[in-house]
Amino acid sequence: MSLAARLEQTAKTGAPIAFRTKRPWPGAIVSWLQAAPLALVLLLMFVAPLAFVVVVSFFDYGRVDIYPAFMLDNYVEVFTSEVTGRLYLKTLEYAALVEAITLVLGFFVAYYLTFHVRTLRWRIVLLLACSIPFFTSNVIRMISWIPFLGREGILNDAVMATHLVSQPLDFLLFSDFAVVVAYVHIFTLMMVAPVVNSMAKIDRGLIAAARDAGATEGQIVRDIIIPLSKTGIALGSVLVLTQVMGDYYIVRMLSGGKSAGVVTGIATQLNAFEYPPAAASSVVLLIVVITLVVGIFSLVDVRKELAA
Amino acid sequence: MNARHPINTPATPLAQAAAAPSRYDVELVAVSKSYAGAAAVETISLRIPKASYCCLLGPSGCGKSTTLRMIAGHEQVSAGDILIGDRNVTDAPPAARGTSMMFQNYALFPHMTAVDNVAYSLKVRGVAKVERRARAREFLDLVRMSSFAERLPAQMSGGQQQRVALARALITRPQVLLLDEPLSALDPFLREHMRGELKRLQRELGISFVHVTHSQEEAMALADMVVVMEAGHIRQTGSAREIFEKPNTAFVARFIGGHNVIATPGGQVAVRADRCRLGSAGSLTSLSGHAANIEYLGPMVRVSVATDNGLDAAALIPDELFFTAPVDIGHAVTLIWSERDAHALSD
Amino acid sequence: MMTEVGQPRPKSFYVLGFFFLLFLAFLYGPMIVIFILSFQGPDGGMSFPMVGRSTLWFQQLLSGTGRIGDIPSAFVRSLEMALVAAALTAAICVSAGMAFRRRFRGSGLLFYTAVSSLVMPSLFVGFGIALGFKELGWKTSLFTSGLGAQLTWTLPFGLMITFATIGRFDRRYEEAATDLGASSWQRFRDVILPIILPGVIGVALFGFTLSYDEFARSSLTVGTANTLPLEIWAMTTAATSPVLFALGTVTTVVSFCVLTAALVTIGVIMRRRAGSGRPATS
Repeated sequence: MSLAARLEQTAKTGAPIAFRTKRPWPGAIVSWLQAAPLALVLLLMFVAPLAFVVVVSFFDYGRVDIYPAFMLDNYVEVFTSEVTGRLYLKTLEYAALVEAITLVLGFFVAYYLTFHVRTLRWRIVLLLACSIPFFTSNVIRMISWIPFLGREGILNDAVMATHLVSQPLDFLLFSDFAVVVAYVHIFTLMMVAPVVNSMAKIDRGLIAAARDAGATEGQIVRDIIIPLSKTGIALGSVLVLTQVMGDYYIVRMLSGGKSAGVVTGIATQLNAFEYPPAAASSVVLLIVVITLVVGIFSLVDVRKELAA
Repeated sequence: MNARHPINTPATPLAQAAAAPSRYDVELVAVSKSYAGAAAVETISLRIPKASYCCLLGPSGCGKSTTLRMIAGHEQVSAGDILIGDRNVTDAPPAARGTSMMFQNYALFPHMTAVDNVAYSLKVRGVAKVERRARAREFLDLVRMSSFAERLPAQMSGGQQQRVALARALITRPQVLLLDEPLSALDPFLREHMRGELKRLQRELGISFVHVTHSQEEAMALADMVVVMEAGHIRQTGSAREIFEKPNTAFVARFIGGHNVIATPGGQVAVRADRCRLGSAGSLTSLSGHAANIEYLGPMVRVSVATDNGLDAAALIPDELFFTAPVDIGHAVTLIWSERDAHALSD
Repeated sequence: MMTEVGQPRPKSFYVLGFFFLLFLAFLYGPMIVIFILSFQGPDGGMSFPMVGRSTLWFQQLLSGTGRIGDIPSAFVRSLEMALVAAALTAAICVSAGMAFRRRFRGSGLLFYTAVSSLVMPSLFVGFGIALGFKELGWKTSLFTSGLGAQLTWTLPFGLMITFATIGRFDRRYEEAATDLGASSWQRFRDVILPIILPGVIGVALFGFTLSYDEFARSSLTVGTANTLPLEIWAMTTAATSPVLFALGTVTTVVSFCVLTAALVTIGVIMRRRAGSGRPATS
C-alpha cells in the first residue's frame, strides 16, 4: 500500500498508520542470510581445499597417484630434511629484512602524508600516487627491475659513469639484493595503507596538546603517534610478512633461480607430483604463518580497527 | 587552598623577576592574522591585567578562537606582537610562552591513564617517573580527581575528562591558562557547576584565564573582563557590567542580549528590555505595536513586541506587574521607556 | 609537525618531503623504464641504449609472432574474468558488510576465516583447490576453480573496504527511513546503497584489478586456458625481446584506464553530493 493510500485510510478510520504489518525477521537470521554468500565461497574454495591439504598430508603416494593412509612419514621427512631448515632460514631472513625496511619506509611515508601534508587535496593526491602501482600487475613490476638492475642496466651504467668501479656490479640482479628490492617495491603499500588509516584517526588536538606540553617532534612520534598507530602497524606487518613468506614467484624471478624459500621447496615437490609431502610441508608452513599472525594480532584488536 | 600546593606561588620559570613587573599578563599589540589574503583577525590590541578572568566573546567565525590560538602559539601571527608578562613571545614555541591550553574536546591522550596524561609535560622535560607521577597526583588532587588517577580517558565521563585536562594544563604552572570553549561539551547542569569550579581555580591560583565562548551568559557569570569580538575586530572591552550597561554598538547590544536597539532621529539607541514596560504613551518615549509572543520565565515575563514600524523589540516585566494587566498574543500594546534609560550607540 | 596552514614549515617537512620524492621515484622509476623500452627499435635489446624507435613489439604482440602465446585471447579471458570477479566481489562484500553490522553467531569465525584467506600463501590455496578437484574427479576450469581461487583473494580485500565504508555510514539516515515507513529492502535500495555507492565502486575496483593481475592462486586452477598474467609469467622465461615490455605497457595502461574510470566516477558522485548538499547561502 502506498504511503498516500495509508494516510487516506488513517484519515477515514482514525487508526494510526500501520507501517509494519508483520514482525520483522530476527536480526540473526537476516545477518546469516546476508553473510551466507561470503561464507559459502570461503567454505568451498578455502576451508574445504585446506582441509583437503591437511588430509592428503597423511597420505601415501607412488609415482603417479596418491593413496589414502594415515602415516606421519611425510612430516618426518619435513622435519628431518636438512633442506627444510635451510629454506626456512632463507625465508625468515627475507621476511625479517623486508619487514624492517617496509616498516621504516611505510611509517615515514604515512607520517609525512598524515602530519606534514596540510591540505586534504594534496593528501589524497599523494596517497593515490603511492597506491596506483598496487593496481598494476605484480609480474610486470617484477620484470621492470630487470632493465634497471642488470649488468647493462641503468644502475650499472650510472655506477660505471662515476668511474668508481671498472666492472659492472654483478650482485644487483639475480641476487638476494634484487629479491629484497622487488619485495619492498611490491609490498610497501601494504604497510602504508593500514598505517595511514590508523594515523588519520589520531585527533589533531592530541598533537597540539603534546606540543603545548613541550614535546619535540621526536617525542610526539614516540609517545603519541607510534602507540596510537600500532594497530595499523600490526596489520601492515601481517600483510607484508605473510606475503613474503608465501611468495614463490618473486624469489624465483629475481634471484634467477639461485635462491629458494619455503614455498619454492613446496613448488618443486608439486612439479614432481609428490603431493603428500608437498601437503605436509604446506601444513607446517601454515602453522608457522598462523602462529605468527595470531601472535601479532594478540597485541591489538584488529576487528575494532577495521570497523571503526 | 592547601598550602603544600606548589602552585601557590605562580613563579613560572619563564617570568624573570623584573624590577618593575608588568601589570599585564597578556598584551596583544596590533595583532593580525590572515589566511591566503583573507583576514581572520584584523589589527587587534588588548591588555589583560594580572590575575584576571578574561572571556573572549563573539559569534562563530569572529576570530576569538584564532586569537586564543595565536596567544597559545598554535597559530603564527601575520603581524603584530604578543607579550606574556614582560616577554615578547611572538615567535616562541607554545611550550616556552608560559601559557597552557585546555582544548575544546580536552585532547586527552587516549592510551595514557589520567596520571600519565597529567605527567606528560614533566616526562618530556626528563623528570624521573616517581617524581613526575607524585607531582601529577597533586594536580589531580587540585581538581578533585585523584581517585581516577589510573583510569583511561575512555573510562571517564565528560566532566571528569575535563578536570583531568585542566590538571594537565595547570601542571606546567602557566602564567596564563587558555581555555577553548571549555564548557560547550557539557550538559547544562554540569556546565554551571564547572563554571564555579573554573572561577575558584582562577582565584586560588592567582593566574589569568583566557576563556573563549559564544555564550554571553557564561561570559557575564565568569569574567572580570569581557572582550566582545565580531568579524576579526574587538568591538568592546570592559567588565561584564560595563558591557551590559553601556554597549557601545548595536552589534554589542544585540549580541549581549537583553537590549532593544531602536532607531531615533538622533541615531540608534539601546534600551534594556527590563527597563521597558507596556502602557500608554505619556511623558515617556514609546513605540506602538502588537504582542508577538509571550514567554513566562518565572520571576519575569518576556513580551516580544512587533512594532508598527517593523521593529522587533521586547519588554522584560516582573511577573507580579505583568499579571496585574496581562495581555495576550496579538493584542495591541505600546512599549514605553524612560529617556534616561536610552543609551546612545555609536555608528 | 603541526599541520595548520599559516605556520612555518619545520625542517623535518623538507627532509621527509625529499624522502617521499625518492620513494615515488623508487615506485615509478622501473615502470617508466619499461614503458620507454617497449618502444625499442627493431635492433635494440632488453636494456638501454635505445636503438631507434618503433612500435614493432606491439605489432608482434597482436600478431602472436616471436615465441609468444595467444596474447589477445588471454587478454579477453582476463577481462571477462575480472568483470565477473568485480561484480561478485562487490555484491558478496556489501551483503556481508550489512551482516557484520550486528554481531551474530559465527561472525568472529567468518571474519577470521576471511583474514586467514588473505594471509594464506597463495600457492596453497591453488594447490588445495586443484587437489580437491582432482580427487573429486572434476576438471579445473577458468570460471569454476579459477574464479573460486581468485575470490579467496578479492573477497577479503573487498570486505575490508566495505567495513571502512559501512563503518562511516551514519545510521540515523536509516532510522529516519524506518520512521518514514520504508521496508528493510527499500531502506537498503533508497538510502544505504546510494550513500555508500562510492565505497562500493571502490570494492568493485579492487575486485577487478586484483583479479586482472592475479596469478599465484590462478596458476594451478584455471585449467587449460591461461589468463594474461599467466601468459606473461610464461613469457618471462621464454621471451628475450622487448615484446615482454610492450605487453607490460599494454596491461599497465589497461589497469590505469580502469582505475581512472573508477576514480572519476567516484569523484563525480562526491562532487555532485557536495554541490547539492551545500546549504543555500544568503
